[in-house]
Amino acid sequence: MYRIRFHGRGGQGIRTAASVLGSALFASGREVQDAPRYGAERRGAPMSAHVRAGRSVIVERGAIAQPDLVVVADPTLLAGGVLQGLSAQSVLFLNGSEPADELRTRLACPGRVVTWPGAARELEETTGVAIGALCAGGAARLLGVISRTTLEQALLAEIAGHGSGAAEAGRALGLAGFDALADSAGMVGEGVDDPGAGDAPPDWVRLALDDASLAAPDVFREATSELVQTGLWRTSRPVIDAALCSRCSWVCTTLCPDSAIHAKAGEVPQIDYEHCKGCLVCVLACPPHAIRALPERQPATAGNPR
Amino acid sequence: MSEARYRSLRELPGVHALAAGTAMCAGCGGLEALHEVLDVLGTRTVVINAAGCMTLLASYPFTPFHGSWLYTSMASAPAGAQGVRDALDLLRSRGRIGADDDLTAVVLSGDGSAYGMGLSATSAAIERGLDFIYLCYDNEGYGNTGQQTSAATPHGARTPTSPGPAGHAGEKKDLFDVWVAHRPRYAATVIGAEPLDLARKVQRAASLAGPRLILALAPCPTGWDYDPMHGVDIGRLAVRTGIWPLKEYVDGAVVHTHVPHPRLPVEAYLSTQGRFRHLFEPLRNDALIGEIQQRVDRYWQNVG
Ligand SMILES: Cc1ncc(C[n+]2csc(CCOP(=O)(O)OP(=O)(O)O)c2C)c(N)n1
Ligand code: SF4
Ligand code: SF4
Ligand code: SF4
Ligand SMILES: [Mg+2]
Repeated sequence: MYRIRFHGRGGQGIRTAASVLGSALFASGREVQDAPRYGAERRGAPMSAHVRAGRSVIVERGAIAQPDLVVVADPTLLAGGVLQGLSAQSVLFLNGSEPADELRTRLACPGRVVTWPGAARELEETTGVAIGALCAGGAARLLGVISRTTLEQALLAEIAGHGSGAAEAGRALGLAGFDALADSAGMVGEGVDDPGAGDAPPDWVRLALDDASLAAPDVFREATSELVQTGLWRTSRPVIDAALCSRCSWVCTTLCPDSAIHAKAGEVPQIDYEHCKGCLVCVLACPPHAIRALPERQPATAGNPR
Repeated sequence: MSEARYRSLRELPGVHALAAGTAMCAGCGGLEALHEVLDVLGTRTVVINAAGCMTLLASYPFTPFHGSWLYTSMASAPAGAQGVRDALDLLRSRGRIGADDDLTAVVLSGDGSAYGMGLSATSAAIERGLDFIYLCYDNEGYGNTGQQTSAATPHGARTPTSPGPAGHAGEKKDLFDVWVAHRPRYAATVIGAEPLDLARKVQRAASLAGPRLILALAPCPTGWDYDPMHGVDIGRLAVRTGIWPLKEYVDGAVVHTHVPHPRLPVEAYLSTQGRFRHLFEPLRNDALIGEIQQRVDRYWQNVG
């Protein structure tokens, strides 16, 4: 059975990527399971999607702990535990262009690593929902059991609901991803069989009721959400150019939905990168265009704003 | 009226009463409106929140509020506000808290609650003269569960439950008029993209007592299908096309606080959002676009 885990952010089309890959595997004669996994957070937050494909009915459930293939939508996600469960047999595929051997050493990744080869490095500049189609195409090639035509049909079918323009763009990018990894075709092998196949259904498990003080606890501290680093959601980073800023801070501080811009009267405002989600509302709202959007490429480290 | 009034954007509060780090989508127009409202009201509030996207604001152990927050079912936030108000009144009448310790009960609800399940409870609360502020962030659908059609979904918008080639066949309920028919102390429509207008209305609501209701159109990148960066532009277009009239009801009369002139054609607004894409491709649906334009024209013809 193949176990494939996608990592991305809401808004990068990763749920669709899993559906595209799942549909293509199904059309190639496999039994398929495909499930996105979100927390309570909404669009922008890191999420994952899980695809299993086997030769008979799949009993195994839940998040994939031991993936044969991990697909990562952009390099900033590498900071967030995406390597979990990788073995020497598994493959990590990053939508990035850092040379694969360098990345493998830097991450101390036990498995093999794939990034875009030099000739296709511009693919990593893809933004937004289109990243999903690109990653699905690359993943399909790495599995080696999906034909180009089958992938194309799955791309068109799964993206059709987003409009004809999106479907066409998705088709082109998915196939570009597929073509770019020709040298790594079939690199991912199938992992262990479904250990649950043929098992009798389990007995009921009774869970004890929690006390109300545990089940519905009170919070007495104010503004604890500041402990949550929503800055990790960002794929683009707004940066204020102090030379252009006309210090009309009531504009950007008010319109930022997330209260992530702070200012003292008459000063250039400060963006709170711990929490800025990168929506870029401020970029369009700033009257003298003093805020630029840069791609958020660097993984979060002590030196980099997150 | 003699109360204080913000004269320019510059005077808006520079300190935010809602903390960062919430679970709302990047670019959420409802969150923008909520923080602008709370920035004016301050931190001495109890927010009574009907189930919807915003109930993810406070997910244990994290809360963006400085004041208290209470979660209710979709239909009963105004009843929750009654309970909170009564408890505060009891504490005051027994001398357990002084006037300085009093709090404002603020209902926070989505359109699914405000236009639908929670309308009966709202009607009853206004009838009883409950001293509270009601904020509805109207993202025109059941956002939290995937943007299914609600009583606030506009005619022609496509949603997962109105998937056909013409989108939603029904009409957006006029909740502001429904509220006004109750003769509350104050009612207003606002939008986060017009923060000065919003702040003045919240300031006025705060200066009054009794039922005060505020309806905020809340551009929703996830449910309306647009790049989050365009949220403020889309909000301004809602106003400039006349689709979202800014008005208030006070002392028995409705006054428009902004009359768009010239009024932009509705398609300037519709074409920015994926939920209206079927009006423009694969073929332009002039009939439906014209119908939506006519509704808006008719509204403004009747404005004095
Ligand atoms: C009685 C009831 N029915 C259904 C639900 C499931 N539910 C939770 S949030 C939600 C959507 C609420 O829509 P709205 O009030 O517009 O708020 P939004 O999610 O758009 O913020 C629904 C249907 C519920 N909590 N209670
Ligand atoms: S809106 Fe732009 S110019 Fe004004 S303070 Fe903010 S960054 Fe500076
Ligand atoms: S991109 Fe700008 S508007 Fe959006 S959260 Fe960050 S600072 Fe706020
Ligand atoms: S779905 Fe819409 S209303 Fe709900 S959090 Fe996201 S942007 Fe805000
Ligand atoms: Mg709603």
